[in-house]
Amino acid sequence: MDITNKKILVCDDSILARKQLMDAVNEIATGATFIEGKNGAEAVEFYKNENPDIVFMDIVMPEKDGTEALAEIREYDNEATIIIVSSVGTQEQLKKAIKLGAKDFIQKPFEKNQIKEIIESRLGGQ
Amino acid sequence: MFTQFLGNYLLRKGIVNQDQLFTAMSKLSQSHIKLGTIAISEGLMTANEVDECLYVQTRENKRFGEIAVERGYLTDDQVSVLLSHQTPDYMLLGQILVDDGIFSYEELERIIFDYKNDSELYDLSLDIENQDAVQTILSKFFLIAEMQVTEHNIMYLELMFNSLIRFIGEDFTPLSPMVVDEFPITFGVSQAILGDREFISHIDCDRETAIAFASRYAKEDFTEFNEYTVAALEDFLNLHNGLYIVNVSNDTSKDIALEPPVVTEDGVLCGAEKCIVFPVAYPFGTVHLITCF
Repeated sequence: MDITNKKILVCDDSILARKQLMDAVNEIATGATFIEGKNGAEAVEFYKNENPDIVFMDIVMPEKDGTEALAEIREYDNEATIIIVSSVGTQEQLKKAIKLGAKDFIQKPFEKNQIKEIIESRLGGQ
Repeated sequence: MFTQFLGNYLLRKGIVNQDQLFTAMSKLSQSHIKLGTIAISEGLMTANEVDECLYVQTRENKRFGEIAVERGYLTDDQVSVLLSHQTPDYMLLGQILVDDGIFSYEELERIIFDYKNDSELYDLSLDIENQDAVQTILSKFFLIAEMQVTEHNIMYLELMFNSLIRFIGEDFTPLSPMVVDEFPITFGVSQAILGDREFISHIDCDRETAIAFASRYAKEDFTEFNEYTVAALEDFLNLHNGLYIVNVSNDTSKDIALEPPVVTEDGVLCGAEKCIVFPVAYPFGTVHLITCF
């Protein structure tokens, strides 16, 4: 699958988690441009600067958590495609993320198939 | 998990030494036939259904059989039959030690009898689905450390052992826990759990052990201590604590949250009351899992 010209913002305070997610995308698609953020504040800043096609974002992060960043990005762009990837998969957290406009919620550890389905459905037809 | 508990017992009683136990443990994964594998060979489940149950198992603190029944793939009776086909994992460890010439079958029989008495498991079968037996043994860990045995303490420890089995490997032995006022940090990561039951969780080990631990977690071959190895330890702790709060919130609907993990390179770890240290010995080194209240 070719997703050249697609920008993917990966926001997680763990460098390993970012690498694993980017590796998962690269296994199923080629050509993506990645932007990496390590906290919620960077997620908001990079989103405004780079206007990515999709955002994968953790919740538990320093400075500004993923929930706050999600709300700010959606306020800036209510069409933003944001996927939450978190180890904190409580029902309450899930409802909160969906209410704030997250398009999907993946609980860590993610399966490569979950990333594949999202990339195909969100970027494949564009 | 009974294999790990039996390993602890064998070490504690001086029946085996660490080298003998690690050698036997390393052979265990090759000899282990999992319930899902038997279910496929019996034609009761498809490979996809087994994969699905194993995937759910990484997120929920449930037994394989329990998940398969919930999803309608197996009945309770079928799980019982499959379990009867499976050599209990702790017996497999015993058999490997017999094969290695550490003790005889006759001695193994006596060791298992003494082990069950020591663990107060008189009438409980030690199959992998037996939650009562797991909880009885886990309670003993807290009693050894003179800690209060609460439902949440047991849940946290059970999840910790399950997380180690699933994400690092089953070839570990929990050593005897200790209660301390403070713990001198070698290297580690800490994460605070916020809510009604606030506490600090911490993983501590030397750098060489951290590299091996991180390699297993990330399924990478790290050769040096760097930001990826540190991140792997943070991710493991974050994942384990995430599973814990999902389970607590499912049980109690209480509001509970995690702070981001932080790296601690030196100093002393202490809680408002006390810290409980659970040392876990892997062939590559000992990891200390600590909770401070």
